[in-house]
Parts: sequence; C-alpha cells; structure tokens
Amino acid sequence: MNPQLKGIEEIGGTYAFDIRTSNKTLKLNRFLWKMIGSGWRERYKADPEAVMQEAGLNDTEKDLIRRQDWLGLVRHGANFFVLEKFARVVRKTNLEVYAIMRGESFEEFMQTRRVPESR
Amino acid sequence: MAKIIGCIGTSHVPTIGVAYDKGRQADPAWAPLFDGYKPVAQWLAEKKPDVLVFFYNDHATTFFFDMYPTFALGVGERFPIADEGAGLRNLPAIKGNVDLQAHIAESLVNDEFDLTIFQEKPIDHGCASPLPLLWPHDPDWPGTLVPIAINVLQYPLPTAKRCYKLGQAVRRAVESYPEDLKVVIVGTGGLSHQIHGERTGFNNEEWDLEFLRLLQFEPEKLTQMTHADYVRLGGAESVEQIMWLAMRGAMPEKIRKLHQNYYLATTTAMTLVLYEEGEEAPETAARATADASA
Repeated sequence: MNPQLKGIEEIGGTYAFDIRTSNKTLKLNRFLWKMIGSGWRERYKADPEAVMQEAGLNDTEKDLIRRQDWLGLVRHGANFFVLEKFARVVRKTNLEVYAIMRGESFEEFMQTRRVPESR
Repeated sequence: MAKIIGCIGTSHVPTIGVAYDKGRQADPAWAPLFDGYKPVAQWLAEKKPDVLVFFYNDHATTFFFDMYPTFALGVGERFPIADEGAGLRNLPAIKGNVDLQAHIAESLVNDEFDLTIFQEKPIDHGCASPLPLLWPHDPDWPGTLVPIAINVLQYPLPTAKRCYKLGQAVRRAVESYPEDLKVVIVGTGGLSHQIHGERTGFNNEEWDLEFLRLLQFEPEKLTQMTHADYVRLGGAESVEQIMWLAMRGAMPEKIRKLHQNYYLATTTAMTLVLYEEGEEAPETAARATADASA
C-alpha cells in the first residue's frame, strides 16, 4: 500500500489511478490515448470495431466503449485524461461527461453549478 | 546572474483554452476569469521577464502510461502545442532557450533530481491553457519557457515535500546561470476540483482559501500533507496543487501577494495568484482574498 494514499478508500466515488490499475488497463488507456492522432480517430470513426480489435480491447472494454459508459470506464480503470480525448472524438464536452458520471441530466448538473451559463 | 523576480500560480483548465480560442473574453460567464488575468499580463508586460519556468503536468498527451516520467524537463528551441483530440490551436509553438534548459537540467541532476529530458515533443494544455492569457503571442511569444512536467496522474506521485524541494533546487539552478536573465516561476493546476467518478463536481472554497494562506505563510505545513489529504480536501484532481509547492519552493521565505483572482464557475476553482519577494501581514493577504472571491 502506498502510504501517501492511506485513507483514500474511505472517500466515496473516487478511483485512484495507480500502477496496478494502469498495468491491468494499459491497452484500453492506449486505445483512448491514441485519439490524439488524427489518423487513429478517423479510422475509429470509420470502423470502430476494427480499431478496438486492433487495440487489443477485451469484450468488457469493447462493450463499455460501445455504450459510452463513462462511469463504467472509470470504474474499470480508464484514466480520465485519456477518456476526455475519446470524448472529443464522440463529440461530448467534459461538462456533459461529468453530468453522466453523476447520473444527472446535463441541465440538472449545470443547475448545481455557480455559473450554469458557463459552458 | 539569472534572477527570479516573482511567481504565478494559475489553473490550467482546458476549457480556458477553448473559451479563449472562441473569443469569449467578454462573455459574462467568462469575463470574471479573463479580466482576472489582465493585471498579471500587465505586470509581465512591465517586468519583461525573459523566461517562464513552468511547473505543469502532461495529461497523458506527450507521455503515455507505458513510460510516464515523474519529473521531466523539456529542452528545445520550439515545442509545438499538442493536438489533444480536437485538432490544432492557432498558437505559435512555445519557445525555448536550449542553453538555459541544459544548465537547469545539469544543475538539477547534479543536485540529485534525476530528471527525464524530453526533446521535440508537443506540449499540452498544462502549459498552453494559461500561457496566452499571460503573454501576448502575435506574431510570437515575447520570451522562452523552461517546461518541467510533474507526474500528478499515475500514482505513486512525487510527494508534496519532494515537489517543494524541486522548487528549491530550481532556484539554485536559476541563480547559478551566468547570464542576466529575468525569470518568473509558474505553478499550474487546481484549485479544488474532481472530474472523475460519482464524486465529480466536488469543490471546497474554504479549503482553497486556506491553501492559499498556507502557501504564502506556512508552506511547510502543505509539504507534510499526503496525497490522500489533498484528495479529501480539494477533490481527486486537486492533488495537482503539489505543483504550486514546486513554485513556492523556488521563492524566498517571505513573499507578498500582488494579485489574486478566484472564479469557481462550474467544476474547477479557477485561481490566479501573483507573488513577489517581500513582507506582507497575513491579515492583509486574507483581506485581499476575501475581496477577490466576493
């Protein structure tokens, strides 16, 4: 156990991304990371199944991607900072992804913010 | 001799870059943010620093988790701004001073900070989100950057104390550079925010203001906190505030605050603070804080 993370398990709704998680989900996170390359994202848009297969995603991961299950992906071990690159490709803003992770509609979520018109 | 003339703490929220590119500076939802940068941009225009040392984090753009450096220093005359999935931004490539960067790398490694060196790599919003709000860029940037990336993504992260010590070592590195350059230290990230999991949207303004007080007057207390402490108090991604400690470590013991802007619009407490060496009473600094967030 990393002593710097002692007690983090008591903080709900939080998934610390550490080497152990990263090791298990490297292929998924690499698939998401590569969305910064225009060639990769165009190929994904043209044939998502082929690109997921090429990236070595397992069936669980493919399903999470197909359903754009943002919270499921985070729980599975996707790192948010590569997840947001995928969000750009499927035309979701970060604010929209945040709302979905909280289980709220976009408008409900924005009403919980101090400046709801900031979007 | 090169000299550190001040430091700037700033958020590096990617949507600042998006709003900037869309020209939303006067939009009522964004003006409190953009207007807050004007006094700091003015200070930079007056002081004319040659160099900004940027403590920032790469958001798995330049580096991926198959080889992710704890500390990495960029060396090069130019660094392109990265495409992070939404295409390229209309900004000139970041400028660098290779001799200074190499000197800082040599000084840090000889000071027992065994850095990764990166070259000819793009740099993401960790630098590029706040930079155009601080410095003009038409047709080009007025000075050079020393980019120092810190791992705040994949645990184990360097401790808060280690980041503070890195800042102290950067001060020694800058002050041992023979040329008369004016240097400003920039620490990026935060303040409170969480952007993953069911706890997304967490903020803590009370803690943010306490963090700023401690940063100015009792930074050693912040160096004693664990990453879990930062996550609990400020949200998971606020742990990146350890990069502000690197900035603080590069400054002398006594600093005074020239400007502060705190704007929590949606999910991140977007904060900008400018400090110079000097005396300031905690009460004065606290009053400035209260005014800024009112």
